[in-house]
Amino acid sequence: MAISKRKRAMYTRYAVYALSIAALAAMVLFVDWDKLSNAMFRWNIVKEQFPDILTKAAKNTVIFTILGFAGGLSLGLIFALMRLSTIRPYRWLAATYIEIFRGIPLVVTLLILGFGIPIATGWQWPNAYMQGAVPLALVASAYMAETIRAGIEAVPKGQMEAARSLGMSYPRAMGTIVIPQALRIIVPPLTNEFVLLIKDTSLISVLGVTDATKDLARFGRDGVNSTANATPLMVAGLVYLAMTLPLTQLVAWMERRAKAAGK
Amino acid sequence: MARYSRVLATFAALSLVVAACGGDDSSSDTTVAGGGELELVKDGVLTVCSDAPYEPFEYQDENGEWTGFDMDVVRAIATENGLELEVSVQPFDGIWLAPAAGKCDMVASSMTITEERENAADFTKSYFDAFQSLLVRSDDAETYNSLDALAGKTIAVQTGTTGEAFANENKPEGATIQSFDEASAMFLALESGQVDAVLQDYLINKERADKQGTSTVSVKFEDTPEQYGFAVETGNSALLDILNKGIDDLKASGEYQKIYDKYFIG
Repeated sequence: MAISKRKRAMYTRYAVYALSIAALAAMVLFVDWDKLSNAMFRWNIVKEQFPDILTKAAKNTVIFTILGFAGGLSLGLIFALMRLSTIRPYRWLAATYIEIFRGIPLVVTLLILGFGIPIATGWQWPNAYMQGAVPLALVASAYMAETIRAGIEAVPKGQMEAARSLGMSYPRAMGTIVIPQALRIIVPPLTNEFVLLIKDTSLISVLGVTDATKDLARFGRDGVNSTANATPLMVAGLVYLAMTLPLTQLVAWMERRAKAAGK
Repeated sequence: MARYSRVLATFAALSLVVAACGGDDSSSDTTVAGGGELELVKDGVLTVCSDAPYEPFEYQDENGEWTGFDMDVVRAIATENGLELEVSVQPFDGIWLAPAAGKCDMVASSMTITEERENAADFTKSYFDAFQSLLVRSDDAETYNSLDALAGKTIAVQTGTTGEAFANENKPEGATIQSFDEASAMFLALESGQVDAVLQDYLINKERADKQGTSTVSVKFEDTPEQYGFAVETGNSALLDILNKGIDDLKASGEYQKIYDKYFIG
């Protein structure tokens, strides 16, 4: 009551600091660090993970991610344009597709497409990479279509109108004037999508793995099995971070730059 | 099912470390007449960890009631001791550590007794003999009538099972072992042609073959029997005694045979 607003804010801040310090101290005091590092970070096991965790597991994760992203981006662009189309059935089709693949969990999509298509048609997936990456790309394309659409809509209408009034056709105006400007806007959210994809590849192992097609997460889990220790999982987590941190930092940098440019 | 791996084992151990820091154990004491002091996770209830559904050993019937061979045996023992049965579904990987982690009182999950698992939990005497087997598409039943016939082919196993260990030890020349997190995915992979055989416990494969009609058990590895046991936390002799006595009593009274016949004969 007698305290001014500023003082109250100050006390609140001190209280938060004090609580954080107390929590940190409690962790340091009460967690048995020897036991923890013994259970989760044994140096000899860390060393055993290399080089396979990079040359096999991380490689597979990267392959799945790139295939998923490339497929997702191309399809996403098509569906974004369909959603913005003046032709109604195109819009309906795109909207239905997006709703379906955004609404079903990736695991379910993986199982349905990965096993369901061969069961229904007798056709076999050519390899484990396609089997895992195609469902991943389909789901990613649904999300990316919405991102791309938002990006295209964020380009001022005058750009399209000016291009058309110069005699450009709609596809040409879209392809050479609007989409390039939209891309600049959507690069940060698309990079985020890429990071999400890196992590989503960990679900592909529900379709079954061999030694050659194991992704990073599964490699870590199997390592836990064979060593009876959680260290391999910790190492896998760190390798994920090594891949995702540069990307998220890149996004942060791009966003700062866009802000500075008055975007 | 005979799965031996340790992913969850490690996590259970970790959660123990954390629990030890947190203190305050919520388990309560119950005294069972003549049975010594029995500690249960929940008063008056025998809480059982199981990786279900795994027909015909552990699954829910159309009313949601837990049933299957394991469940009937455990329920009979629980009832005998005036306890209710409650099931906590857990992934199989490392399930034998679940009682130590306070998730349940015991494990009944078609689990083979192995030396490795006995290091981390106390097992009852065997209540069931199991065999590994091969499940193949019915069209291939003649061709894939031995493990060696699968040379160069793909064999599905479940991660952390004794089936996986068996496959890795005995796999024929050039065969690929593909491992799956759960049984349902293996069956789908067989049906879709992604794998050529599923290697796991005989009765599980047989149940699938009978139910589905398009797959057949082509081989039963009868030379390598495995014993199923229930598991309790290391040192929980009160519960272990009750279970061992229960198994003996059921066998002596003929009740065991009745349950066995219900699931495995006719």
